[in-house]
Amino acid sequence: MPVSKVLLVDDEPHIRRIGELSLKGVGKWKVVLASSGHEALEAAAREAPDVILLDVMMPGMDGQETLLELRAREATAAIPIIFMTAKVQKHEVDRYRELGAAGVIPKPFDPMALPGQIRDILASYAGPRA
Amino acid sequence: MKAAPAPADEIERLAALSDAAILDTPPERAFDDLTRLAASICRTPIALVSLVDRERQWFKSRVGLDASETPREVAFCAHAILGEELFLVPDAYDDERFADNPLVTGPPNVRFYAGAPLATADGHNIGTLCVIDHGPRQLDEEQRSALSALARQVAAQIDLRRANGRLANLNGELVARAREAQAVIEQRKAVERLKDEFVSTVAHELRTPLTSIRGALGLLEGGVLGALPDEAMEVVHIARTNTDRLVRLINDFLDLEKIEAGKLELDPKHVDVRQLVSSLVESLSPVAAEAKVELWAEVRGELDLVADEDRIAQVLTNLMSNALKFSPPEQRVELFAEATATGRVRFGVRDRGPGIAEADLARLFNRFEQLGGHGPRKVGGTGLGLAISKAIVEQHGGTIGVASALGQGSTFWFELPPRDARPSLAAPSEM
Repeated sequence: MPVSKVLLVDDEPHIRRIGELSLKGVGKWKVVLASSGHEALEAAAREAPDVILLDVMMPGMDGQETLLELRAREATAAIPIIFMTAKVQKHEVDRYRELGAAGVIPKPFDPMALPGQIRDILASYAGPRA
Repeated sequence: MKAAPAPADEIERLAALSDAAILDTPPERAFDDLTRLAASICRTPIALVSLVDRERQWFKSRVGLDASETPREVAFCAHAILGEELFLVPDAYDDERFADNPLVTGPPNVRFYAGAPLATADGHNIGTLCVIDHGPRQLDEEQRSALSALARQVAAQIDLRRANGRLANLNGELVARAREAQAVIEQRKAVERLKDEFVSTVAHELRTPLTSIRGALGLLEGGVLGALPDEAMEVVHIARTNTDRLVRLINDFLDLEKIEAGKLELDPKHVDVRQLVSSLVESLSPVAAEAKVELWAEVRGELDLVADEDRIAQVLTNLMSNALKFSPPEQRVELFAEATATGRVRFGVRDRGPGIAEADLARLFNRFEQLGGHGPRKVGGTGLGLAISKAIVEQHGGTIGVASALGQGSTFWFELPPRDARPSLAAPSEM
């Protein structure tokens, strides 16, 4: 599945910037940024990204709630979602997969490897569960 | 009238009586039946179970008498408890101890008295089973022995009561202790939960700024932001590798926390050992190349292994990283996997490094143990790798060890049991 546009959702501005530089500079993708779950819902509907990189620990609507909201809306239901998070204990990762995440990228991430990781995850992703 | 002296065991006797918790309790059939039987066998109008208290005698059971107690100083029973045998007063008028006793001269007009001491199991006479008549008389042999036998039954009832009382106390104590223990367990669980949350939060809070730092350094080093002068690149490289080390340290800390709390989560699956070994060799070959060390691996035969592949890879990565760190250049680090005669899968990592002194072997798997004095910081581990490896192997039901001698290199090995003998692979306990 070819990627041309990525939505990166993270409440940390520095991480958004680093992620943006990586996705643009290494992945050569268009990047849309959102700093909260609510912004993500809006941006996802407006921009129709090929994939969403979603932080988990965010104030207000957290990543897991955001995923469920995105899934519940027709326009965004089919967009693959990858959690990018520092919360990667096994039971946490299991939970993300149960929620239907396409994959999990642990923080800190390697910005040179990040686009490759996203491609690999999408290559083996069968689509959101019903 | 002559009051009876206190028996020699008065203190213990009173303690036994109080222990029975029988004084001033309502009538009970078990005692009343025996009292009635005593009166009937001895053909007396009065029969009593009399308990001799500090200042009084109190009647637990009585036939033919209305009073529930009398002062101890006038009590016939206070005399009866001084001996082991049946105490007989055939005619109180003829006995100087009792002739002017108000119980003789007035109601209930005692003339004849026979009292069998109630001896507790620990040998204290706490009272009597006695029979009383209004005229002088005797008991025949059969009546005497029946009265003594009935007294033993009364004493047995009292002993039973004491035992039950103790049992109830013990039971109450046990219940209280169990409650206390439960409370302690709950408290510990709460503390554990708080600690887990704390550790997880701290790890997250550390990783968040590290994500920006690691990312910035990675972008600089990767040249995405333009080429850097050589020395700048060198410095960025140093910063990036040390950031990676800090990240590893945090991960190791988290692992160790989980291990120590017994919460290491294993995900056992069938492992393709050949595939595992080749991917490990591939991922470590840049490190080997940098250290100018040859990496050599061999999987001997078909190996059947069910284990948490990521965790086994973590152990092997630890052992191989150590071997690469300590290996001299131009030498070989060997990784092998084979089946043992008992069907276990054995992994080994051999280096030709400086080796380990025998005295150091035992503490090698302790946390923060880095050997070599001058060497450890130079090679830059977290000091937690072997402790974590040991815990992972042991949670798989396996064993880990090392064969080494100074100047002869080291072989670290671990063995995992065959797939059907792995009790510890069950879900981690909640405790």
